[in-house]
Amino acid sequence: VEIALAVAVLLGIPLLTAAIALITERPARAPKPRTVSQDSTSKATWITLGIWTVLTVAGVGAVLAVDFYSTIASDRGEDIAHAFTFLTALAVPVAAMVVAVLVYSMIRRSGGDDLMPPEDGPFYEGKGPFPKAWLGVTAGLTLLIIIYPGLWTLNDVIRTHDDPDVVINVEALQWTWLISYPDQGIENQFELVVPVDREVTFLISSRDVAHSFWVPAFLTKIDAIPGRTSELSLIATETGDFSENAAYRIQCAELCGISHASMRIPVRVVTQSEFDDWVASKTAAAAGKED
Amino acid sequence: MSRTQFGLHSFGPIFRGLLGAAIGFSLGVGLAVLGRLAFGAGEAWDFEMCFVIGYVPALIGWLLGIGVWSHWAKEWFGGEVKGDEHKGAGRYFQFNTDHKVIGVQYLVTFLALFLLAGLLAMLIRAHLISPEGAIFTEGEYNRVMSMHGIIMVAVAVAAVIGGLGNYFVPLMIGADDMAFPRLNSLSFWLVPPVAVLLLSAQAFGGWDSGWTAYPPLSTTNAHGQVFFNLAIITFGLSSILGGLNFLVTIAFMRAPGMTWMRIPIFVWSIFAAACIALTFTQMFAAAVLMVTLDRVAGTTFFNATTGGDPLFYQHVFWFYSHPAVYIFVLPGFGLTLEILAHFARKPLFAYKFAVGGLMGIVFVSGFVWAHHMFVSGMNKNLMAPFLVTTEIISIPTGLIFLSALGTIWMGRLWLKTPMLFALAVVFNFMIGGVTGIHLADVPTDLSLSDTYFVVAHFHYTIIGAEIFALFGAIYYWFPKITGKMYDESLGQVHFWTMFVAFNVTFLPMFWAGFDGMNRRVASYTGNLADLNAFISVAAFVLGASFLVFLLNMFQSLFAGARATANPWYARTLEWMTTSPPPLENFEFQPVVVGTPYGYGNGAQPHALPAPAGASDDTENRRENAE
Repeated sequence: VEIALAVAVLLGIPLLTAAIALITERPARAPKPRTVSQDSTSKATWITLGIWTVLTVAGVGAVLAVDFYSTIASDRGEDIAHAFTFLTALAVPVAAMVVAVLVYSMIRRSGGDDLMPPEDGPFYEGKGPFPKAWLGVTAGLTLLIIIYPGLWTLNDVIRTHDDPDVVINVEALQWTWLISYPDQGIENQFELVVPVDREVTFLISSRDVAHSFWVPAFLTKIDAIPGRTSELSLIATETGDFSENAAYRIQCAELCGISHASMRIPVRVVTQSEFDDWVASKTAAAAGKED
Repeated sequence: MSRTQFGLHSFGPIFRGLLGAAIGFSLGVGLAVLGRLAFGAGEAWDFEMCFVIGYVPALIGWLLGIGVWSHWAKEWFGGEVKGDEHKGAGRYFQFNTDHKVIGVQYLVTFLALFLLAGLLAMLIRAHLISPEGAIFTEGEYNRVMSMHGIIMVAVAVAAVIGGLGNYFVPLMIGADDMAFPRLNSLSFWLVPPVAVLLLSAQAFGGWDSGWTAYPPLSTTNAHGQVFFNLAIITFGLSSILGGLNFLVTIAFMRAPGMTWMRIPIFVWSIFAAACIALTFTQMFAAAVLMVTLDRVAGTTFFNATTGGDPLFYQHVFWFYSHPAVYIFVLPGFGLTLEILAHFARKPLFAYKFAVGGLMGIVFVSGFVWAHHMFVSGMNKNLMAPFLVTTEIISIPTGLIFLSALGTIWMGRLWLKTPMLFALAVVFNFMIGGVTGIHLADVPTDLSLSDTYFVVAHFHYTIIGAEIFALFGAIYYWFPKITGKMYDESLGQVHFWTMFVAFNVTFLPMFWAGFDGMNRRVASYTGNLADLNAFISVAAFVLGASFLVFLLNMFQSLFAGARATANPWYARTLEWMTTSPPPLENFEFQPVVVGTPYGYGNGAQPHALPAPAGASDDTENRRENAE
């Protein structure tokens, strides 16, 4: 779907531009005082288009080849990383056009000397159809990114599970995290253990100031605000462990006072059976303590 | 008696201001203590309450002492007010209504603050050279980072508008001064208390809540937070009065023939930024006022346990603080387009679209604030509308690029230092702009918000666009302000060092964001060590580039070649008068007869001196404005 959408829009934009250009075309204006010959203008256009094409092809290739996020371990994270790549790939031709014009203008014979400026350039005031076409193209591109990945992906990344497999309470306080599993009767752990491929819902609250619950490996985050419970749902997709990969940690991402930076605890994403074993050992230990 | 010699007496007004502040503070604190005793409010002494109540009369005392009384208020009571000093360095240290003096006061003050906050940035990078942090404790780091943040925000708000805006807006529209010259001086003299508050806060525990000051952290941290809050309210007042003054000046003080569509684009950009400053600044002041009241007066606006809401602060704060980024960057756009046109020797391309872009951004800027809160846990139904409005900002911003690229297209560029800076703005803001799209898009923002990706993005927009434009404009107008030429080769060395070091410093920060480095951290995980060491070294080079700038400025100021009235052969009005301009700006009344950008259009001039005998009606215009 998205490829069809992208192709439709990318084809649509030149057509729209041409339509706008035709509609707004005005009869040629009175002879201009200074103009550049048709030849040198079209030469400049071809060189700039050349630079633009090279930069665009190289840039889009690079964007598609690079993994921006080194670790992506949740379903939301996959949507997010996908949206990031799409937006960046779309930004490349835009950025490449800016660079192409800048580079061409810089390598083109500059003028003037220490004291005197070069002679005046051509009298382009931009009163023709071009600015309107530009407006049309930028509006079209903006509409595209609003629809996709913006609104299209929005619900996928913020929706919550109606009936999650595991509910985890996360309480933030200066400067650590307390993790509890109400259904399993496990309380106040300093480690987050999540079963892989299960629907997990985090209920996040704060005891003192604003904090933010962020597991870099899951990509998404949400703040912990006093007086509110924030809900974040996801499915972890890759097992992993903080001891091997620093992206598996809960990191406070909202400035919360002195030890904000070191307000982090380890995260482990484990298989369902490992999770069951962990739950059993914790509940056994708790039962032992009560006896 | 000639008092124009620069000497100790030049600091008289400042001493009087300090005395006034001391008297006011004592009165206020005394009143607060008496009040507490009389109403039996616990102990007689409460540091924060007494300081806040003492600050208000102290600020009034400072203003009266510095010159509001002797130059202004005295006449309300039938007294004779003093005139300005017009010669000597002493005039820069007193109440002076000449917009050129005020422009220099702003520019020098904020350049000094820029260098100070830059030094703090160097300390930050020195600390972050190792994962556990090299020089500060965590608490110290948070305070240094917070101070860097707010001082740079103040620089970004006021260096271009207050400095270059004050100096050049009246010149470029052919006026002899701003519409409200005394209000203008008042706006400037509100700034020193802001700097004093922010610096002295460090003696009272500082504040560790960043420049954003989110409660409940900001309602529970050290006393320094109150200093920050009062500084914001004071600076906000200065900014609002400045904004009002620019709007009235541009609307009513233009030279004959200077129609709205003949105004230089820099003046339009100041107009746009002034609209935002006048409309939104009070939101930030209101937000920190509520924080102050929560701390000293027992209100509970942001205390969740008694019915308050911390998110309420974030909304009110961002009502201002998102539009504020356009106060930073729009004048940067204006300067850039101005310089591009004069150094490409071409008309400003699609002038009306560029003006539409500036005003379009002003219009949309008020509807996008909650994109700073996508991860805050706010109502999810707000996400889609703010995603849409925020992405829409790309459309007017695109018009700025249209104008910039169209202007240099097919020009033979005069690659002087100002032009290099202006071209760099186009490049830098391209990166700052496209990364803004990722942050406006909710899905990608969820991962990037509060990470170094954001740090890289806003440094690209603020340094990359506004600060580069500011330095380009300082080189551009240095001959006009000082009457001396700057050293071109040192200027080029400064540019290339700053441009390369800037990009090498901030591009890798995007990757630090992907790899799990969040903002405002005194320490980070070991996997980010190499990247951060690299960034720190690049940052030191960036810092060193400003030494070249300082060398150039001082050397050129004292030993530079004499500048002609119009060394750039540019067409705007400020180049029609001497360098530096006389007190009333023009020896003649300029009459505007065409666009300022008529390059390549034969002999079509922008303005001519009024025919001899024509009446000078600037005084009438001032009276109309008042």
